[in-house]
Amino acid sequence: MPSAQKPMRYGHTEGHTDVCFDDTGSHIVTCGSDGDVRIWENLDDDDPKSINVGEKAYSCALKNGRLITAVSNNTVQIHTFPEGAPDGILTRFTMNANHVVFNSDGTKIAAGSSDFMVKVVEVTDSSKQKTFRGHDAPVLSLSFDPRDVYLVSASCDGSVRVWKIADQTCTTSWPLLQKCNDVINAKSICRLGWQPGSGKLLAIPVDKVVKLYRRETWDSQFDLSDTFITQPLNVVAWSPCGQYLAAGSVDGSIVVWNVETQECIERMKHEKNYSICGLAWHPKYRQIAYTDTEGNLGLLENVGDGKKPNDKVASTVTKDYNDLFDGEDDDYLNGDMIEPQSSPKVGANEDDGDDDDLMPTSGHPRRAIIDDDDNSLDIGMIKANSNLLEKEDDDDDDQTGGFPALPPSSTQQPFYDGPMPTPKQKPFQSGSTPAHLMHRFMVWNSVGIIRCYNDEQDNAIDIEFHDTSIHHATHLPNSLNHTMADLSTEAILLACESTEELASKLHCIHFSSWDANKEWTVDMPKDEDIEAICLGQGWAACATSALLVRVFTVGGVQKEIFSLPGPVVSMAGHGEQLMIIYHRGTGFDGDQCLGVQLMELGKKKKQILHGDPLSLTKKSYLIWVGFSAEGTPCYVDSEGIVRMLNRGLGNTWIPVCNTREHCKGKSDHYWVVGIHENPQQLRCIPCKGARFPPTLPRPAVAILSFKLPYCQVTTEKGQMEEQYWRSVVFHNHVDYLSKNGYELDENTKNQSVKEQQELLMKLFALSCKLEREFRCMELADLMTQNVVNLAIKYASRSRRLNLAQRLSEMAVEKASELATALEDEEEEEDFRKHLSAGYSNSATEWSRLPVRNVQQDQEMEDTEETDAYEEVEETPEVHKQRPNPFSKGVTAAEVTAPKSVVIASSSQGRVNPFKVSSNKKDPVVPSANVLDTMSKYSKKNSLSSSRAVNKQNPPVIKPLIPKPKSKQALAASFFQARIPNSSEKTVEEREEKAGNESSEVKVTAQENTESKRPKTGFQMWLEENRANILTDNPDLNEAEVIKEGMSRFRMLSSEERMVWTEKAKGGTVNDLTDDKKRKRPTADEDEAKKNQEQKSEDSNLSKKPKPLDQSTNVRLSAFAFKQS
Amino acid sequence: MEPAEAEFLAEKELVTIVPNFSLDRIHLIGGDLGPFNPGLPVEVPVWLAINLKQRQKCRLIPPEWMDVEKLEEIRDQERKEDTFTPMPSPYYMELTKLLLNYASDNIPKADEIRTLVKDTWDTRIAKLRLSADSFVRQQEAHAKLDNLTLMEINTTGTFLTQALNHMYKLRTNLQPGESAHSQDF
Repeated sequence: MPSAQKPMRYGHTEGHTDVCFDDTGSHIVTCGSDGDVRIWENLDDDDPKSINVGEKAYSCALKNGRLITAVSNNTVQIHTFPEGAPDGILTRFTMNANHVVFNSDGTKIAAGSSDFMVKVVEVTDSSKQKTFRGHDAPVLSLSFDPRDVYLVSASCDGSVRVWKIADQTCTTSWPLLQKCNDVINAKSICRLGWQPGSGKLLAIPVDKVVKLYRRETWDSQFDLSDTFITQPLNVVAWSPCGQYLAAGSVDGSIVVWNVETQECIERMKHEKNYSICGLAWHPKYRQIAYTDTEGNLGLLENVGDGKKPNDKVASTVTKDYNDLFDGEDDDYLNGDMIEPQSSPKVGANEDDGDDDDLMPTSGHPRRAIIDDDDNSLDIGMIKANSNLLEKEDDDDDDQTGGFPALPPSSTQQPFYDGPMPTPKQKPFQSGSTPAHLMHRFMVWNSVGIIRCYNDEQDNAIDIEFHDTSIHHATHLPNSLNHTMADLSTEAILLACESTEELASKLHCIHFSSWDANKEWTVDMPKDEDIEAICLGQGWAACATSALLVRVFTVGGVQKEIFSLPGPVVSMAGHGEQLMIIYHRGTGFDGDQCLGVQLMELGKKKKQILHGDPLSLTKKSYLIWVGFSAEGTPCYVDSEGIVRMLNRGLGNTWIPVCNTREHCKGKSDHYWVVGIHENPQQLRCIPCKGARFPPTLPRPAVAILSFKLPYCQVTTEKGQMEEQYWRSVVFHNHVDYLSKNGYELDENTKNQSVKEQQELLMKLFALSCKLEREFRCMELADLMTQNVVNLAIKYASRSRRLNLAQRLSEMAVEKASELATALEDEEEEEDFRKHLSAGYSNSATEWSRLPVRNVQQDQEMEDTEETDAYEEVEETPEVHKQRPNPFSKGVTAAEVTAPKSVVIASSSQGRVNPFKVSSNKKDPVVPSANVLDTMSKYSKKNSLSSSRAVNKQNPPVIKPLIPKPKSKQALAASFFQARIPNSSEKTVEEREEKAGNESSEVKVTAQENTESKRPKTGFQMWLEENRANILTDNPDLNEAEVIKEGMSRFRMLSSEERMVWTEKAKGGTVNDLTDDKKRKRPTADEDEAKKNQEQKSEDSNLSKKPKPLDQSTNVRLSAFAFKQS
Repeated sequence: MEPAEAEFLAEKELVTIVPNFSLDRIHLIGGDLGPFNPGLPVEVPVWLAINLKQRQKCRLIPPEWMDVEKLEEIRDQERKEDTFTPMPSPYYMELTKLLLNYASDNIPKADEIRTLVKDTWDTRIAKLRLSADSFVRQQEAHAKLDNLTLMEINTTGTFLTQALNHMYKLRTNLQPGESAHSQDF
C-alpha cells in the first residue's frame, strides 16, 4: 500500500483551514484563518497564488471556475478561478457561514451558518435562495445529495438533519453528535459526505466511527471503524469513484476504508498530530490533500495502492510500530544507515510472497518515487531558503519522507531506504528576508537596514542607517533588480543576478569616498552569477556561481580572486576578516554538509580556518552568519542555536545561545540581526509565528542574553561555571584584537579578569563549604596568583590547613614550572629580549596600525600551542614591571632589589595567560619593563629614568583585583616563597606571617642569587654599546637608548648575535640551576626570622619598611594566633 | 493643580525609543540614562523622548497599550462597567496626547488611537460627572473613586470641592437647624 505521505508544509497561519481540488485536479485550493485563498500548483509550489477574500475564510468550494468562500464578514462570496477576481456576494447571514458546498453539477451552493440557518443558493442567480430553518445551534457542515434531492446538515445542537431541497422540509434527523454552543467548542466539525454517484450512502463521522446511512430508508447501514482511531473524527471525504472513504481525526490520523469490503486500506498519522480539518480527494488520482488546524497543508499520494486483502492485520501492526517509533525516527534512520538492506528484507519475509530476488528489480520504480520525493524536498528546501517559514515542516519531513517506507507494511516494492541526501541549502545573505516577498529586508545588520520594495508602483531600495551620523537615509530606484545587499559604515554593496541581456552586476555605493564619484559597478563574466556578497573594512567580496570569490577594494579595484571548494552558502566580512560558508559535500538525512573558511585580507593575508566542517544542529541549516561587533565569527542555525568561534580553544565553535529557549510559542522565532560581545547582547527581532519579520509595522529589536549550555545551571555551581566560561569565551576577542594591533581599552579587560577571578573565588568558597578540597585545588589552578593567595588565606581561615598547604605548594610548583620553562627557553632568551623590546618600541606608538616585527608575525602564524608557549615566554618580562612600580612607590632603594624573583611571578602568566597579555598590551608597560630588565646592569642610569617612567604611568601599578582585596592578596602572596616582591616591607610581612613557612629559605636564597640573574645577549651587548649610543645621541633618555640599541642590535649579523647569546648563556646557566635546587622549602619559622633579618641587612636599608613592619607584624601574628 | 502640572508629571514616565545616534550613559539628577546605541531600543523619560524626536534623533516605540485592539477592549470595558476600570497607565491621557502630538509618525493608526482614548476619556469623565451629581444630590459625606487618574481628578477636583464648600455654606446658612441635625448623624 505504501502511500507516500508528502511533507506537510505551511499553508496558512494557525487556525481553521479548508482544502479542495479544482475540477481537473491540477490545483489544490486552500483557505485559512488569514483570510487568504491559496492556489497551489502542487504541494511543492513555491509561490502559490494568494487571493485575499476577507479577514478569515472558513470554508471554500470550487467548481466550474467559481470559487465560493465563506468569510468572516458573514457573506458567501464568489471569486473567479483561477484569476481570483471578486465576482459578487452570493448570500449573507447574520453570522459567518461555517461550511459551503457545491452540488454535483455546480449550479447551486449550500451554506450553513452560525446563525443556525442553512441556505441553498443558485450560483448564477443569487436571488433564488432557499432557507432551511430548524437547527437550534450553529450549523457545522453540509453535504449535497449527488442527485440533488436531499441536503444533509450537521449542527452544534447535536443533530444531523436531512432536508428535502425542494420543499425545505426536514426529512429526518438523528441526534448523533455531542451538543455544544459554538463551532469552536465542538469536538468535531463533523464534515459529512454523501457517496458520489448514486448517493446511496451517507457517511457521518460520529465520535470514533463513521456511520453510514442508507438513502431513503435512513437506517444505519454499517459503521466503519478502526483501532487506529483514538480520537473523534473530524471530517470524512469520499473518493470521487465512491469506492473509498477517507476520514481524518482531531488527533491527526487519517484512515481510508474500502467501503464495499469495509476494510481499512490506509492508515496514516499527521506528523505533528494536529487536528485534520480539511480533506479532499484528487478528482482523478489517488491523492488526498489535507489541512490541519495549524494551517499546514499535506498530501497523501498513492492512497490504497497495492492494497491487499491479507494485508490488514500486518499493516495495523506495523503502523502501530510506526507510532512507537514516532518520536525516535532519527535513531531508526541511523540504524538503517548502517544496515540499509536489513529492513526491507525483514519486510519481505514478513509477507511471504516476496523474496530477495524481487528487491532489486522492483526496487527501481520505488526508487523513482523516492527520487521524486526528494525533488519535492529539494523544492521545499529552495522554498525554505526563500521562504524560511516552511522549513520547520520540511525538516520533520525529511524523516517522514523516508519513514513510511521503513517498516514495510506492504512489501511488494522493496526500495532503497538508506540515508537520503539532503538538498543543498541555497545561498543567502545574512539578515535578509526571502527574495520573493514584495516588501523585504535585503539586509539588517548593526549598521543599518536596507529594504526592498517591489510592487506595482515601485521597485526601489530604501537604505536607512541606525546611526544617522554615518550617512543619511537613501532611496534608490531598483532598476537592475538587485536581490542581494550588504551595508557597512563606508559603503553599500548591491548585487543582482544575470538576466538574458544583462550580466550579473556588483554595484557599490561608496558613500564615504572623499571624491565626487561615489559609485562603481562591475559586470561579472558571462554565465557567472553573483550568489553572495559581503563588505569588510576597505574591501568588498562576492562569491559567484563559478565557485569563485572575487575581492575588490571598496573603491572598485579588483584584487584577489580565488576558488571555493564548493558552492557558496553565505559570506560575511568584518574588518579585514572574511568568512565564507560553502557546501563541502552532500549532507544526508536532513543535515547540511557545510564548510567554513576564515581568512584575513589585511596586509598579511592568511587563512585561519581552512575549510573546516561547520557544526550545525541535526537536521538544521544555516540562517545567519556574521561577526560579532568585536569581530568574532558567529553563526545561527535554523534550530536557533547561536555559535561563536572560540579562539581560546583552537578555533572551535561553541554554542552561546539557544534562541528557541526564549520563544514563547512553538512557531515563534528570533531573527538575529547582530551579536555584541561587550556588553553581551544578542540583538534579534522576535517574530511571532514566523521565521522572519515583515517590513511593516517596523519591527523592534530585542536583546537576548547568552547562555552556554553547561550542565546543571540551576545549581549555584553550574551557574557560576557557566558564567565563568562565558566570561572567558566572550573576552577571547580582546586577545585577538590586541594581537592584531587594535587599540583596546585596558579597563574592559581588567574588568573581565576581575569578574572571572571573582567567580572562581566564589566557586572556590562554595567547594570549600561542600568539603570538596580536591575541587578547590582544581579551581585554584585556574586562578591568577593574587587570587590563589586569597584562596590560601580563605582556606586557612576556614581551618582547612591541609588545603592551604597544598595550595601554597601548588603555587610554588607553578612558579617553578614556569622557571623551568624559562630555563628551557634560555637559549632563546636573546631573541625574546629582542622581541619584547621590539614590542615596547612599537607599543609607544601604539595605534590601529598593526605594528609587528618579523618575529612576532612568525609567532602568530604558529599553532595554538606555540601561542601559549609564546605567552609564557613573554610573561617574565611582563611581570618584571609589576613589582617595580610598587617598589618605586615605597623606596628608591628597592629599585635595585630582587630581580630574579621576578621569574617566579610569571606563574601568573601560566594560570591566566589572558591577564598577562593584558599587561603586555599596555602601551606603556613594555618600555618600563625593558628598563627594569636593564636597570640591574646599568643601575645608575636606569634608576632615574625608569622611575620617571613609572611616575608618568601610574595606571600600570593598578592591581587587577579589587582594591580592598588587594591588600590581603598581597599579604597572602607571601606565603609563597618565590613571589617577586621587591618591596622590603612585603617580604618581611611574608616571612612573619608564614605559618607554614617553608618558603622563606627559598626566598632568601633567591634574593641572594638575584643579582646573578641571567643576562641576555642583548643586554650584554647593550651594556657594552651603551656608551656608543650615548655618544651618538647624547640627548636620548633611557627608553630611547634601548630602542636605539634594539635597532642596532637587530642590524648585527646573526653570527654576531649568536656570539652574544652564547656569552650570555655561559654566564647564567649555573645561577639558574642553583636557584632551582633550592626551591623545596624546609625551613621553620625561626630560620625564617633569621633570614628576614639577614635579608633586611642585605638590601639597602630603608626607613619605610620598619614602621610598616610593626603594624603588619601585629596583624599577622594576630592572624597566626587565630589560626592556631 | 493645573493640567500642565499633571502633564509635567507624566513626562517622567518611561517610553522606549530607538535612537539614531550613539551616546554613552548620561548622568542626570533624576538618574542615569542610556547608553544610547543606534538601532537599539532604550527606555527614556517622555520629556527626553519628545525632545529627541523633535530633533529627529530617535524613533519612538509606542507603549504596549497604545494599540487599537487593546484600547478598544479598554473602551468597551469602561463602557460596560459602572465603576472606573483600571487604566493601562496612570498618565494615559497625557501620554497619548504628548506622543501623538510629537511622534504620530511612529505610531501606527494614530488617529484611531486618538479617538479611542478620547472615547475612553469621555466615558470616564461622564461617569465622574454622574457620580459627582449623585454625590451632591444624595448629600453623601464621602465617596470612593478608585482607578481615577491624576488628570481626571484634576478636571473636577478643585471645582467640586469648592462647590461643595459653597453648598455647605449655603445649606448651613439657610437651614441651620437641618445641617446641625445632619451633623448629629
